Amino acid sequence: MPIRKKNKTKNQSFFDYTLLFVVIFLIAFGLIMIYSTSSYEATGQLGDSTYYLRHQFVATIAGTFVMFITTMIDYHRWEKYAFIGMGVSIILIFLVLTPMGVEVNGARRWIRVVGSLQFQPAEIVKIAVILFCASMITHFSKKKLATLKGAAIIIAVPAIMALLLWQITDNLSSGIIVGGIAVVMLFVADSDYKKYIIAFLLVVAIGAGVVYAATHMQSDSFRMGRIAIWLDPEKDPDGIGFQTLQALYAIGSGGIFGKGLGGSMQKLGFLPEAQNDMIFSIICEELGLFGALAVILLFVLLIWRCMVIANNSPDLFGALLVVGVMAHFAIQVVLNIAVVTNTMPNTGISLPFISYGGTSEMFLMAEIGLVLNVSRQIRLKDNVM
Amino acid sequence: MKGFQIYHKKKIVFAFFVLLLMLLGLTGRLVYVMVFQSEYYSQKALELHERERSIKAARGRILDKNGTVIADNKVVCTISVIHSQIENPEEVAGVLSKELEMDYETVLKKVQKYSSMERIKSNVDKSVGDKIRQCNLSGVKVDEDYKRFYPYSSLASKVLGFTGGDNQGILGLEVKYDEQLQGTNGTILTLTDAKGLELDYTGESRIEPIAGNDLTLTLDMNIQSYATQLAMQVMEAKEAESVSLIVMNPNNGAILAMVDVPEYDLNHPFELEYAYKEKTPEVLQSVSGNTTEAANKMWRNACINDTYEPGSTFKVITAAAGLECKAVRLDEQFHCPGFCIVEDRKIRCHKTQGHGSENFLTATMNSCNPVFINVGLRVGIDRYYEYFKQFGLLNKTGIDLPGEAGTIMHKKEDMGLVELATVSFGQSFQITPIQLITTISSLINGGHRVTPHLADYVTDSVTGNVTKFNYSVQDDIVSDETSETLRFMLEKVVSEGGGKKAYIEGYSIGGKTATSQTLPRSSGQYIASFIGFEPANDPQIIALVIIRKPQGVYYGGQIAAPVIKKLYENILPYLEGIQYN
Repeated sequence: MPIRKKNKTKNQSFFDYTLLFVVIFLIAFGLIMIYSTSSYEATGQLGDSTYYLRHQFVATIAGTFVMFITTMIDYHRWEKYAFIGMGVSIILIFLVLTPMGVEVNGARRWIRVVGSLQFQPAEIVKIAVILFCASMITHFSKKKLATLKGAAIIIAVPAIMALLLWQITDNLSSGIIVGGIAVVMLFVADSDYKKYIIAFLLVVAIGAGVVYAATHMQSDSFRMGRIAIWLDPEKDPDGIGFQTLQALYAIGSGGIFGKGLGGSMQKLGFLPEAQNDMIFSIICEELGLFGALAVILLFVLLIWRCMVIANNSPDLFGALLVVGVMAHFAIQVVLNIAVVTNTMPNTGISLPFISYGGTSEMFLMAEIGLVLNVSRQIRLKDNVM
Repeated sequence: MKGFQIYHKKKIVFAFFVLLLMLLGLTGRLVYVMVFQSEYYSQKALELHERERSIKAARGRILDKNGTVIADNKVVCTISVIHSQIENPEEVAGVLSKELEMDYETVLKKVQKYSSMERIKSNVDKSVGDKIRQCNLSGVKVDEDYKRFYPYSSLASKVLGFTGGDNQGILGLEVKYDEQLQGTNGTILTLTDAKGLELDYTGESRIEPIAGNDLTLTLDMNIQSYATQLAMQVMEAKEAESVSLIVMNPNNGAILAMVDVPEYDLNHPFELEYAYKEKTPEVLQSVSGNTTEAANKMWRNACINDTYEPGSTFKVITAAAGLECKAVRLDEQFHCPGFCIVEDRKIRCHKTQGHGSENFLTATMNSCNPVFINVGLRVGIDRYYEYFKQFGLLNKTGIDLPGEAGTIMHKKEDMGLVELATVSFGQSFQITPIQLITTISSLINGGHRVTPHLADYVTDSVTGNVTKFNYSVQDDIVSDETSETLRFMLEKVVSEGGGKKAYIEGYSIGGKTATSQTLPRSSGQYIASFIGFEPANDPQIIALVIIRKPQGVYYGGQIAAPVIKKLYENILPYLEGIQYN
């Protein structure tokens, strides 16, 4: 590998350009797709076809700046903020309930800082949880971690955070992501496999049980109804099943080669706010199966680089940070595509770097900066790439 | 390497592969949706995105036998505005109100109304539509459409009928041959956004309309227009209520003219004509629904929709029955005292002092009632009724116009001698004018019962193939001999008898006059009629005129016969000219 050949020189630093280019490519592609999906509706509603593109572009510039900073700052310096980060996260979550909270589309998940500058506390919570878990785990011994109690202690705080996100900000999907990140980090840190496999099987069994109950029992419960409609969205084409069905129309009508960039019909108001969570369905419609696979491949590359960096990290703390980021990206991509293809019930999850959303973009780039900083500290001579 | 162990690395790789597996699973799901379910969802999506607009097919034209177009299509425009595309509402309203001669405020209101598409005015002349289109106002749509147009407006109105707003036939030939004329509408499929706005850049897929087939009639507009003039003249001169005039080829039933004045303007069928307005003051208001009685009356074609007592013209049928069953000979002597007693009834002759001694031929020339009663009685109820049926009088003629009225006749078991006597000279029952002319045609053409008709052939709009209509002919309803005798007798009626006023020097015309009372008889109103054919020995043309409720002189021989004379004076040379050509 080219990097190894350079081993002879001293003071050389490794930098994961592959990861950087994958991220740049995803962001650029995201901007194109945001323009493609939003321009028609933006023209009709705001009289400005580039409204969403411009806002996302500004966020990208700011995000680049943030990413540069986190790339430069030694990741060890963050460790002492692990507990503070948790505290700040909790405060931010409760701030949503104050007049600073902003309601968008019926959900109160935002905090306004000044003017139109607003962000979702959930984004900060995700980073804070990654930092917190990495810090906690490195302070636990292998034996302590392997006990059920040790695992429970590690998982307790993220679980509370997930619960708060779900209950306070009515954001179940962010809660799931936070919980998922913590579980993956714990799994990596713990030498045991058995209890995770049991836990996994248990979750699958419960899920199957709920689905069975929803389909075989005449229950009027709202959530049960949701599951029934998830299994057959055409049961309620104008209500709960609407968005899912519109997304499926978009994906299905894309076919193998798609309608061509800009050729989507579903973005013309049929799939409302196509630039948000459902943007992947428009990618499928315009670029076809090949375009969709290319996007998935880019994300695979991204998490593959995360894996490589984590494995070559100078210490466990760095490795866990990268694993946390990897879990974050992977879970969010998996859940997003699963929702869009109706593989799981509809819940709002954005596609990293591609869906419209300024704060999300900036925090994601901060996380990439963190990973890049870890990569910079890789000692090349005893590493296998 | 603080605390970083090999098992951590293994687990990181494990976690990576678990996540990779999930993404692989989702890729599988994507392949399923985008390859195997693609067709299903594409179809569903297309149904969601497509809007269908129909393109009217041009209705087939109606032509007369000379190829003159008598029912055509006019291109008209519908002007509408699309609210969301209008840039300058005041300017749009200004231009539209000026060009369409509409109130500015009304137009502005429609322009400013929030709707996806608002119709400003339909049936706008093409020239006006083109002008508006040239103004290039954004948000203004000019759609072309077809509207039925009748170049001769009221000529042959009762025959042609008219069409409704969707170009569907409503009356007359327009409805009878609707299937041929209608054509197949095309469609424009356009893609729209969620609000229903059409997308300009996607283009549209069109299924072109197929124009309706042209219908060519046996009608000759030259004869029709002259016949209409004559009918109008006599109606005005005699202050009659209405005049019907039918001109037909007795050998095949082809109708050359069918007039029933007063007629109405086919281009404005819902506006009451003066003649009808006078009697019914209310004016028709709406095009759809609620057509008043007056309009229905205006549209009625008395030639086929109404029945009347034929009177003396029916003596031709009695003569045919008598001759056919040999109940009477041409030279047989009769005596007319001015009346005739049948059972307990005394039935008068129109000449109250009586015709005295006369043979059957002269009795026919005199139109003597007692002689025909006598002949009728000789034939007898059973045989007379049998002939009535054999001549085709009990059935409808089968003319290709809607709403033909049937014959109103005594039931056979109710018929006594008195009824037979009155039927013999054309009273106490009712038939339509078209029934009378068809029956007499069949009796004088050698005994071939023809089907009267107006449609000759259709020309396929795509292939140009011509399909001729076939009409049934029933042979031998009367013998050649009887037919010949009838022609001889009827020629005498015109040359020497009561139909003298129809005589034209150089032509041999056969005919019969009639003067009947309108019902109820107490009204003191009459119907004067005359039926005449030419040439008498080999009839090529037959015409029937019926003048209803004339004022002053009301005898058929006095007022109806001259109409046929004038008609023949003009059209016979014209028809000969056609034959030479």
